[in-house]
Amino acid sequence: MFYGSLFWEYLKNYAKTRLTYRADFWIEVLSDLLFQGLNLIFILVVFAHTDSLGGWSQAEVVFVYGYFMIPYGIHGCFFDLWGFSERYIVKGEMDRILTRPAHNLFQVLLENMNPPSLIGSAAGLVIMAVSWLQLDLAVQALDLLMLAVLTLGSTLVYFGLYTALTAIAFYTDAPTGILPLLYNIQNYGRYPVGIYNRTIRFLLTWIIPFAFVGVYPASYFLDRPEEGAASLALLTPLIGLAFAAAGLLIWNHGVKRYRGAGS
Amino acid sequence: MLAIDVELLQKRFVVQKNREGLAGAFKDLFKREYREVKAVKDITFQIPQGEICGYIGENGAGKSTTIKMLTGILVPTSGRLVVNGYVPFKEREAFVKGIGVVFGQRSQLWWDIGVVESFNLLRKVYRVPPQDFKRRLDELVERLQLGELLSRPVRKLSLGQRMRCELVASLLHNPSILFLDEPTIGLDIVVKTEIREFLKQLNRDHGTTILLTTHDLQDIEALCSRVIMLDDGTIIYDGSLELLKANWSKGREIHFHFGAPTALAALEQLTSGLGVQWRLDHELSAVMWLPSEINVSGALARVVGAADIRDIKIVETNTDEIVREIYKTEKVAP
Amino acid sequence: MNSAYPELIRIRFLMMLAYRVNYYSGIVIYAINIGAYYFLWQAIFGDTPSLAGFTVAQMTTYVAVSWMARAFYYNNLDREIANEIRDGSVAIQFIRPYSYLMVKLMQGFGEGLFRLLLFMVPGMVIVCLVFPVTLPRDPGVWALYLVLLFFSFLINTQINILTGLFAFFVENNEGMIRMKRVLVDLFSGVVVPISFFPGWLEQVMQWLPFQAITYLPSSVFTGRTEGAEAWGVLLVQLIWFGVLLVPIMGVWRMARRRLFVQGG
Repeated sequence: MFYGSLFWEYLKNYAKTRLTYRADFWIEVLSDLLFQGLNLIFILVVFAHTDSLGGWSQAEVVFVYGYFMIPYGIHGCFFDLWGFSERYIVKGEMDRILTRPAHNLFQVLLENMNPPSLIGSAAGLVIMAVSWLQLDLAVQALDLLMLAVLTLGSTLVYFGLYTALTAIAFYTDAPTGILPLLYNIQNYGRYPVGIYNRTIRFLLTWIIPFAFVGVYPASYFLDRPEEGAASLALLTPLIGLAFAAAGLLIWNHGVKRYRGAGS
Repeated sequence: MLAIDVELLQKRFVVQKNREGLAGAFKDLFKREYREVKAVKDITFQIPQGEICGYIGENGAGKSTTIKMLTGILVPTSGRLVVNGYVPFKEREAFVKGIGVVFGQRSQLWWDIGVVESFNLLRKVYRVPPQDFKRRLDELVERLQLGELLSRPVRKLSLGQRMRCELVASLLHNPSILFLDEPTIGLDIVVKTEIREFLKQLNRDHGTTILLTTHDLQDIEALCSRVIMLDDGTIIYDGSLELLKANWSKGREIHFHFGAPTALAALEQLTSGLGVQWRLDHELSAVMWLPSEINVSGALARVVGAADIRDIKIVETNTDEIVREIYKTEKVAP
Repeated sequence: MNSAYPELIRIRFLMMLAYRVNYYSGIVIYAINIGAYYFLWQAIFGDTPSLAGFTVAQMTTYVAVSWMARAFYYNNLDREIANEIRDGSVAIQFIRPYSYLMVKLMQGFGEGLFRLLLFMVPGMVIVCLVFPVTLPRDPGVWALYLVLLFFSFLINTQINILTGLFAFFVENNEGMIRMKRVLVDLFSGVVVPISFFPGWLEQVMQWLPFQAITYLPSSVFTGRTEGAEAWGVLLVQLIWFGVLLVPIMGVWRMARRRLFVQGG
């Protein structure tokens, strides 16, 4: 309740700030969409040369891509702490956060909210719907419920992973450049994991589980019983909870090691 | 009741050693060496409720580290620490509701939105009931004359205006302890005075305990009944400002302005045997330094009869000089 | 040349050494990148021996060398410049006795040098052991490739500087920086070789500088481009290096004027 009203208050302030820089707002929305669109180009380019990727058709891969965009957009809106290390650790803004009576991570997340990212989620939904029709899949009420549950799970995976990686800033003196490096890796969870060797598949499933924000949950809707992916799909919420919990633990432990800026 | 109770508080930081040169940097890549730095070394003090206490020391003496431990930002390495009945770092969110913090060098307001928007947000964060909030805000706005500033974004405020807003922001939830980290840094004398007056009144009317760090000793003279002086992580003085002056002040200066040219030798001869020292600024003006154990009247009597004096001024050694003196001597001592 | 410049390279090199977490995580992440793309391309090729003029073996080498080259030429100068403009510290740079843009270039080079020696070289050795990469036999190709790599760095850095300088004209160019990053990865050919693009897009790419960053040099390395054509690649890079100087100078001049008018 308290956090709900805080959320609303921050959202209002976000809107006010944004209205002062209107031109930037639209540039950002546009670049965000292009950013997503460019990833789609890879898939389209590749399928111009082949009919299948590890036995998956273009429509199926695009479907996975569409699914992926939904949790990715939500993540970008609420959990993207890009630049945390510079702003909050090096410049010491964490001091201010820590003298306020609300959970510190929650405050930091609210201050960095970026609602335009949700437009990417909407685009993902559209892409998913289009490929759904192309693939001629049945639509059931249960599917919508599952979509919500799986999206929530995938979003939690993102949240946990990025919270943990952002928290590294508490443990090391040097600014970390890991997050941008990771950008490419999240793409690999969007392709059928069967094409990778065991090491990478293991990595994408259990260590940096980007397969749980892409191919595993998406394959629940695709009719591919021959693979284990669909059954792993149901693990998505559990993996999400586990990673979110681990991320929070690492964060909370990290905050205790915060040493402030300057002296 | 004690507002702040600190016992053997210690904070150590682990700092990595950077080895010199390219070869050293390569070694660091694979095996790193660390060094421990004690920023605060076993300090103990108590501050009762309603006191205004100044916390002074040179840069790097450990002031900020202490303040940050007291406000729950940093976790102490060892020692006991109770502020306002809480252990700050343990029950952080409950604890910070009862304190206000102002960092002179850093804003706690949102940069791009109107000041009053920031206040409204803080009201939500601190869960202040609307009618309390309104009463308090009106009172503070009137007292600090913020009126038309409220609708402006923070980035368009001058430093003095911003500082007054920061004070309001830190007091909206009516904290019983206020921490100020260099609240007057960079401000002009008018704003400084205004802020000092405001703090004094706040302490008088609401009984707010105030702990402030500063480099401006006039803040201390204007506000503090008590001073804690820190050097290299340890407390080197804790007591009243008067006592500090009395203990450390070694004497006073008497400035003379003469009607006719006077020689230094002549002046020294007048006061021989008293143990005073003379300094001639130019032939019409001289300064006599007088140790505190000697009576002013005795020394004056010797000069007054023998010279043509136009003007006399007695100057007490000021706090700045005393403190500088203390820092210097403490540096020499082991 | 101002003697401060080599010193800037050295300092940035040392700074990179100090960021241990970055170093180790960078190695792991690049290894994953190369591995994932290796398998991705294996799957794309399937049973076909060659696609868009690439054999499977060439593709493997292409992926490995392109990612390693990216490690060298990649830098965050765009964000650094944008941040310095936004917080106003760029104004101080104008009163210093050196060229701000040269300083940035040197810092980027120090970073690149670090990655080349401590990242690309050991990384390439490991990649060659794990994946079936075929290295060129002719030492001349190696020598030429090193020169091409240096120009990859220059052209990529020019694009970064140009993107960063836009912060003078818009309040927040974060979106632009991110977009540029994706554009460079896609159009330079790291992710997909340009010969895979549909015909019209391939044509468009011929007229853009991105191909000179990865696609053309990597083609020389894999032996797809040989002899006189390989020297042609260097010529293309030289031309782009020259052409890109023009907008940078223009934007820089405009930015300076703007800075003086607005007072920073």
